[in-house]
Order: sequence, then structure tokens, then C-alpha cells
Amino acid sequence: MMRMRSLVLVLCLLVSMLVAGCGTSNKSEGVQSNEVGNQEPSSNEIGSKDPIKLKFGVNVTPILTKEFWQESVAKFTKEHPNVTVELVTSPSSNVDWTTHLKTLLATGDMPDVMVMMSPGDFVPSGALAELTDADVDYLSDLNSGKMGGKRYVAIYKKQLAGIFYNKKIFADNGLSEPKTLQELIDISENLKSKGITPMSIGAKDGWPTFVLASSLVTSMVSAKNPNFGADRNAGKFTYSDPEIVKAMENFKLFSIQYAGNDVGSTSYTQILEKFFKGKTAMMPMGSWAQGEVERLKPDFEVGFFPVPNETDANVIPVFTNEGLAISSRTKYPDESMALIRSFFTDKEWYGKFLKTEMLFPTTKEDVPYEMSALRKEIGEKINNWKQVEIFTDATGDNALLPGIQGAWYKADASISMGTNVKNELAALDKEWDRANAALEK
Amino acid sequence: MRIAKKSAFVFALPGILIYFVFMVVPILLCFYYSFTNWDGISDHYRFNGIKNFTELASDDTFLDALKYTAIFTLITALIYNVFGILIAVILDKKSKVHNFAKSTVFLPVVLSSVVVSFIWSYMTQMDGGIINLVVNAFGLPSIHFYGSKMAILYTVSVAVTWAGLGYFTMVYMAALKTIPEELYEASTIDGAGKTSKFFRITLPLLAPGITINTVLSIVWGFKQYDHMKIMTPGTVQSITMNSIERAFNYNMFSYASAIILVLFVIVIVISVIQLGIMKRFEVSEG
Repeated sequence: MMRMRSLVLVLCLLVSMLVAGCGTSNKSEGVQSNEVGNQEPSSNEIGSKDPIKLKFGVNVTPILTKEFWQESVAKFTKEHPNVTVELVTSPSSNVDWTTHLKTLLATGDMPDVMVMMSPGDFVPSGALAELTDADVDYLSDLNSGKMGGKRYVAIYKKQLAGIFYNKKIFADNGLSEPKTLQELIDISENLKSKGITPMSIGAKDGWPTFVLASSLVTSMVSAKNPNFGADRNAGKFTYSDPEIVKAMENFKLFSIQYAGNDVGSTSYTQILEKFFKGKTAMMPMGSWAQGEVERLKPDFEVGFFPVPNETDANVIPVFTNEGLAISSRTKYPDESMALIRSFFTDKEWYGKFLKTEMLFPTTKEDVPYEMSALRKEIGEKINNWKQVEIFTDATGDNALLPGIQGAWYKADASISMGTNVKNELAALDKEWDRANAALEK
Repeated sequence: MRIAKKSAFVFALPGILIYFVFMVVPILLCFYYSFTNWDGISDHYRFNGIKNFTELASDDTFLDALKYTAIFTLITALIYNVFGILIAVILDKKSKVHNFAKSTVFLPVVLSSVVVSFIWSYMTQMDGGIINLVVNAFGLPSIHFYGSKMAILYTVSVAVTWAGLGYFTMVYMAALKTIPEELYEASTIDGAGKTSKFFRITLPLLAPGITINTVLSIVWGFKQYDHMKIMTPGTVQSITMNSIERAFNYNMFSYASAIILVLFVIVIVISVIQLGIMKRFEVSEG
């Protein structure tokens, strides 16, 4: 009896290890190549009659709903009747898209085409296919976002980081858009002395504090060095650099002195609410907040200016960190490429996408859509500004090492609540060392 | 008899198999990966001995997480057990009012951790939070519930214990039912007062309940993830949060496995020591 029990237990263990190990069975397969062109030639050419099923991984948000993506792929499948597209989404809004993608990759379920926000996490393992210039000849900037000279993502949107302001409060107090950092400090002091909270800043959700912090570092430091991220990754300087310390001390000044006394308990929703209800005069935020102007309909006009540095206010930090990518393991590289091309070249589809957050297109051809007054105003100003990738969301060789963006967000949130800037930056340098060591393994 | 035993084993087989697949194997895999350098994504990895464990000793974020988790566990275990015993003793009577009070105390236990976290996030808002509105109504200044890392830790601890206190109270109430009424009657004849009865009869004979509750509260404290994840901006981390961050943000899956293994050992060691001490206490009183 004992022998039989032992036998059954051993069998159980073996079977269970086999079942549990299914998810990692791909490890032995190895990645052959991360170039689509090097894949085995597909017998199912686009337009052929053979039925093909593509998996399209999308990031569902309250604005970019699953229905939105469904509608968009429906047009593609109508033009290519032999292709069906299955949408792959996160199982829950609590699971961020990048994390879910990593899980899919680890279990061998990577979609053929996917929304990609952090190629730096996937390229080293060979998970993404290279996109040649010819593949994305519809994009306006063919040089940005390359890693080691290769492109892996077709960037589909451009967003800005800056300061939204209440034009009525500014007009009532005889204020105008600041041209230097000192002018912004003076405006804040002026408003504070009149009992008006100058800025809407909140650390409750962690990430929102990064908009002002990263904008200051970008405007004051990284704009001077086009290889800022790459140089940091090469260890040519540290985050404890005096210039970065100075930028972050200014961030601390605005958070502690000019954002009221409840930064720690203010969530993203409350940041928006305070500004759009006229409780604060300014709100450092990404241009995605323009969508809130339409939703919350404030009873005042909203303006927008870049975070100034010590000499001017001409640097505008931009986000170009999100787009579409193709799995290096796809069996249908041509069809996947066609799906991406369709997204960018179908102006109705792309225009609808851009309208969701009043985005800026990344294509050579302009894509007109119904814009708000604020979007038009920013669109007219943007050509006068120097566009620089915001350093915490930089792409390509300037991208932060895995994990470091989150570490910056935490440091920003801590500093906004009064912790020591030099200590936080020194801790960030340690985190960088650890992330770098992990990458070198 | 032999056939009955065999069939019992066959019936238990699916359960055993599920247990192995979802409990034993993941723990073994975690143990295995903690000695590698796997990033969670790549196809290749190699063994690197105890390097992950030695690196933990100099990892400030891990040490911070360990410190905050230990403080959190201490606070919550104290609240659970001190207030759990007091409330159980107070409510250990049969009347409609007491039954209503018992239901009220137990009600938060049925709420999900996400709901609890959001309720407390709203209640502790500086601007418009119900607690500060009440505080302000008495002319007092608002409380900075998220003003510093320690303040955040205390706020989360209170929210967590509010949600879980009912469970611990119920365990103590069940333990109170096992104390023979004759002991109280005899002590009354001997002239013992309420305080004397509590410390000389109730508390010692609650020892089995205290053992269960202290072990559970400490295990739950070290496992804390959800409330802290939702209620804080990530500036205060528990060990599990730190592990998840290392695995999925830094792509340091093997390192994260090492963190979880350390947590596993900590919980086992503390539980064994605790059980040893408490059992001895129970025996001596018995």
C-alpha cells in the first residue's frame, strides 16, 4: 500500500510539474531572429484566400475602448476577407498593459501585432521584429526611437507636457505666460500672497508628480544633450549631477510652497478637479488632459505654456513613446505589417484615434480632425517651441533602463512631500546600478 | 477495508493533483528561479548560486520594504489582538443590541480589500474627506494622513485593521464560549472582581485563540499587498510590492523569487517560534 501511495504521489508530482511547466516550455525554443524579413516565408500572402487569424494586443482605456479597437479592425478585415483579427486585452484595468504583455511573452502567447509602450523591456530578449524605413515610410520622423540603429515601434502619437493655466485668474491678476523659471516662481508667489493656490499637484497616485519634475529636468538639463539618456546609460554622469539636483530642488519648491498643503493626499482625479473647478491657477500635466476640458467644461478659458527654464520657455517636452509593434515570432509578418499600415494610412481611422485625446499625428501627411480651441492654440504655438523627448519616457537608445521610470515616479512623489532631493537622487543612482547589473547578466 | 482505503485515495487524487499544480510546483519553481538570473522574459538564463540573496542584503529598497512591513505587521497584530479581545469580551452577551453590534463589527470583513482601500482613501482625503470634515468642525486643523511615510503606514494600518478586526473578534468570541461558566462562578464566591477574573481566568484560557490569531495576524501582515498598493503612491512598500516591482518593472524575476523566498522563511521562522512559545503557555495553563 505504501509503495502504491508513493508511486501515485510521484506520478502526481511529475504530471503537475508537466502541467505547471507548460507556460515556460517556449524557453527551449529560443528566439531565432527579431527581423520580420528573416521569418520563414508565409504561404498566406496578404490578399490570398487562405484564412488567417491575427492576434492584436491593444491597451484598453476609458477613451480607447475595446469597441473603438474592434471598429477599427473591422475595416481592415472587411478589406481583407481572409483575415480575422482577435483583440487581446488586459484581464483587468488593474493590470497595466506592459505587465500583461510580459506575461503573454513568458507564456508564449505574444500577439502578432501589439500596442507597445516600452520596447526597451522587450527588445533585449528578441521579442520584437525590426521595422525597416520602407515598412514605415508613412512616418514623418524615421530616425527617432531607434535602438542600436533599429526601429521596433511605429509611433502613433505625440503628446506634450506643460502647464495648463486659468486665463481668467491670470487676467484678473495682471499676469501673463512666464518666459523664465524665475517669472513662474514670481507668478506663483504673487498668487499665493493673494490667497490663490498657484498649482494643482498631487502625489496620491504616485505618477502625476512626474509631469512637472520630468519637465523641469528636461527643460533645464536634458534639452542641452540629445544623448542624455544614452549617456546616463553609459555611466557618463549620474542623477546626482548638480544640474539635475537644481531642477529637482525647483520641483520641490513648487510642490511644497505653491501647491497647497495636501499634495500627499491629492489623486489624479482631484488634480484635474481642483484646476477645472477654478480652485487653482495652474496645473502641470500632459496634453492628454485637453480631453477633460471638453468633459468638465470649465467656466473659464484654459491656456497652455511649456515649463520654462532659467533663460527661456521654448523647450516643450514631448512623449513619443507609444505605438504599434510586431512580434518576432509571428507567422504572418506581411499581414501584421499591413494591419499597422492600415492604421496610419486610413485617415478616418487614424483621425478618430487622434481626436480621442487631441493628439498630434506622427505621419508625414497631416491628419485633420475636429479640434478644440485649446488644441488649435497649442497647434499654432508648437512650431515655435523646441520639441525634446521628455527624459523619463525617452525612446530608443535614450530610453531608461527597465524599472528606472517607476523609480523616478516614486522619487518625485517622495520629494513632492518634502524628502531630501540629494538623498532621493543618490537612491535613484543605486537603483540604476542595480537595473544595469541585472541587464548585464 | 483495503478497497475502501484505495477508493478514498482515488477520490482524493484530483484534490492532491490540484494542490501540487497550484501550490507545490509554484513554490518549487520559485525556489529554483531564485538561484538563477532569469529576467522573466528571455529564453536563456543561468545559475548564479546565492548571488540574489547576497545582493538583497545591500538593497536599500528591499531593506526599507522589510522595515515597513515589520512595522505594519507589529501595528496590525497589536490592534487585531488587543482590540479583538476587548471587543469580544464586551460583546460576549446575548441580547439584540449585542447581536447587532456583533454584525456591525463583522460587516467590514465581507468587503473586498479594493473596496476597503477606496473607502478609506476617500475618508482620509485632506480636502473633503469625512474625517477631516469632522475634525475641522471642532475647530481643529486637518490631519495629514499621507503627509509622510510613517503617516501613510499608520493610515493603511488603521484601514486594514478596520476591515479585518471582525474576523479576529469572532475567533476570540468562539474561544470565550469554551471557558466553563463554573470557573467564573467559583471565583465570584472567592470574591474576585471583574479585572481579576479577566486576567486570571479569561486571558489565560483564551490562549488557544491568542495562538491562532497572533500567528494569523503576523502571517497576514507580512503578506500585505493590496491595501498598500491601492492606498499609497508606492513611496511606502511592503515586501510583496517590492517583489512584484522587481519582477515586472525591472525584469528581475529571479531576484523577485529570492525576495519571496526570504519572506517565506521569515514567516515560517516567526510562526514556528511563536507557536512554540504560545503552546508552552497553553500547556502551563492547562
